[in-house]
Amino acid sequence: MRKTLTLLSTAAAAVVCISLTLTPDAARAQSAPTKKAKPGPVKIGSRMPDGKPNLNGVWEYIGAANWNIQDHSAAPGPFWQLGAIGAIPAGQGIVEGNEIPYKPAALEKKNQNKAHWPAEDPEAKCYMAGIPRSTYMPFPFQIIQSNQDILMAYEYASSNRLINMGKPIEAGSDTWMGTSNGHWEGDTLVVDVTGLNGLSWFDRAGNWASDKLHVVERYKRRDNDVLDYEATIEDPSVFTRPWKISLPLYRRAEKNAQILEFKCVEFAEELLYGKYKKQPAK
Amino acid sequence: MRQRILTSLMVLGAALASVLLVTMPVIGQSPARKTPYQTKKSAYTPPKLPWGDPDLQGLWPATDLIGVPMQRDPKDGDRTEVTEEEFAQRQAKAERTEVADKAEYVDKNGKVGINPPGYWLEHGKPQRIASLVVDPPNGRIPPLTERAKQKAAQAKQAKQGHGPNESWEDQSLYDRCISRGVMGSILPVIYNNGTQIVQGPGYVAIRYEMIHETKIIPLDGSPHPGKNIKSYMGDSRGHWESNTLVIETTNFLGDKNGIGLNGGGTPHSAGMVLTEKWTRVAPDRMVYEAIVNDPETWTAPWTIRMPLRLDPEFPLYEYACHEGNYAMLNMLKGARAEEAAKAGKK
Repeated sequence: MRKTLTLLSTAAAAVVCISLTLTPDAARAQSAPTKKAKPGPVKIGSRMPDGKPNLNGVWEYIGAANWNIQDHSAAPGPFWQLGAIGAIPAGQGIVEGNEIPYKPAALEKKNQNKAHWPAEDPEAKCYMAGIPRSTYMPFPFQIIQSNQDILMAYEYASSNRLINMGKPIEAGSDTWMGTSNGHWEGDTLVVDVTGLNGLSWFDRAGNWASDKLHVVERYKRRDNDVLDYEATIEDPSVFTRPWKISLPLYRRAEKNAQILEFKCVEFAEELLYGKYKKQPAK
Repeated sequence: MRQRILTSLMVLGAALASVLLVTMPVIGQSPARKTPYQTKKSAYTPPKLPWGDPDLQGLWPATDLIGVPMQRDPKDGDRTEVTEEEFAQRQAKAERTEVADKAEYVDKNGKVGINPPGYWLEHGKPQRIASLVVDPPNGRIPPLTERAKQKAAQAKQAKQGHGPNESWEDQSLYDRCISRGVMGSILPVIYNNGTQIVQGPGYVAIRYEMIHETKIIPLDGSPHPGKNIKSYMGDSRGHWESNTLVIETTNFLGDKNGIGLNGGGTPHSAGMVLTEKWTRVAPDRMVYEAIVNDPETWTAPWTIRMPLRLDPEFPLYEYACHEGNYAMLNMLKGARAEEAAKAGKK
């Protein structure tokens, strides 16, 4: 008798449980992850929870590569009025082998770019710097590495790009910051960049590439505060062979490190439009 | 004994029946119409990211809301939703727009202008929401302060006798491709309404499509920078209130952007405190709220609320506004050419 009662009670309880689970709320709860969330924020160290290296942080290059990606001595700048402030610092190049293998006609264009610097430099116009120049501008950038894609937000000109870490997508139309597809090779983040528009330079020395430019970047943690960055540059219409740049990226170590705002359009308007401004009546 | 068992069974049976009676209607119920805002009453809990934060990631474009007025018609009073009749009008308008979009050529008797055809612009889906402003309860932006009114009068005065296109400064910050500000970057406009949330440990980042902004929100409780660091997009700090992301933004440059579409409208002051709340109320639904607190400009705080829909297929393009700003060049060049022609005729 007791057994029957127990059986019936259990059966009834089971039916109650089932009917309760049929409510929409419970149904939703069942489809969500059942792992219990840890109390408080989860501390992330050198690796993300999925085991991949943690590249999150505010990073910046230190050096004179943005002036000239090759070895160069100090030199006067174009405006004597700025004195030493406007002068060009010396720099150790970031080009492996220090040689950029231009085709003859392409080298001619580099020299013309340099001769028309700074007015023709897209940086002076506050145009987005593209890849790889955005990496070694004298401004920090922040990497936000999620459990899906990787966002890079650059202080210079508020530019940004999202590195797609899923199935590679084809570049649509050409853009200033290109189309980036990333994947991990061991502990190295490899980013394949295509769809660049050929309108960015490599530096203030006039080094350039066309819209056929293909950049493959590699980011690897050296330790907690240094990322080793490498990029293979390929453009068969401009260069006779691929070539590489490499440079360290340093973690900004201030307690309150953040990227600030450098919306430079206002600083470039006189340069771009000045000659079309209405002149005061003489 | 048997009697007691029978009673127990009957009690159990009754309990069962009552439980089923309660649950059955819930299972079978499909609400006649979903309310656009589901805040506290929502039972949905977003999944957690591996580091414990609620997952709000995704593309949340405001495209559906194109056409919803900022402020409510005074005749609607405190009603947050339009009447059935008004909604029918919105639907009818949408249908007319759809037909007009299919037109290949301007009507024979139609006026030809320099603007692109209507189908270049995106259109929203008819919404029941009466306005984007939900507080004050009448859905209208509070009055301006005396200071703000004076500033507006001064600005108007400064423009007197000043022709169009004398300088780039005659254009808005939007048309100069400088910035639309925080609210201007998310309120629904003619196209490129992309908003994307990407989260990392200790941070939330929000990408806005037009004019390529990235708002980075630290969640570590760190303070804003000092008041000598000001910017168009301000400085943001965030924290979680249950599953709602609360963002506080200060350190704005004052007298630049307003809170309207594309950053237009009365410019806010440097003292504005903008509080935004992002609450994921369903896998594909987000309720976005923004509370504008700027006592130097408006006599009371006011709130905008928008329901956003997840759209994983939304293409968030690079909006190289400044790089492609041929319009600025052409407007200035054209104005100078006109002046030269006029001067030549004298």
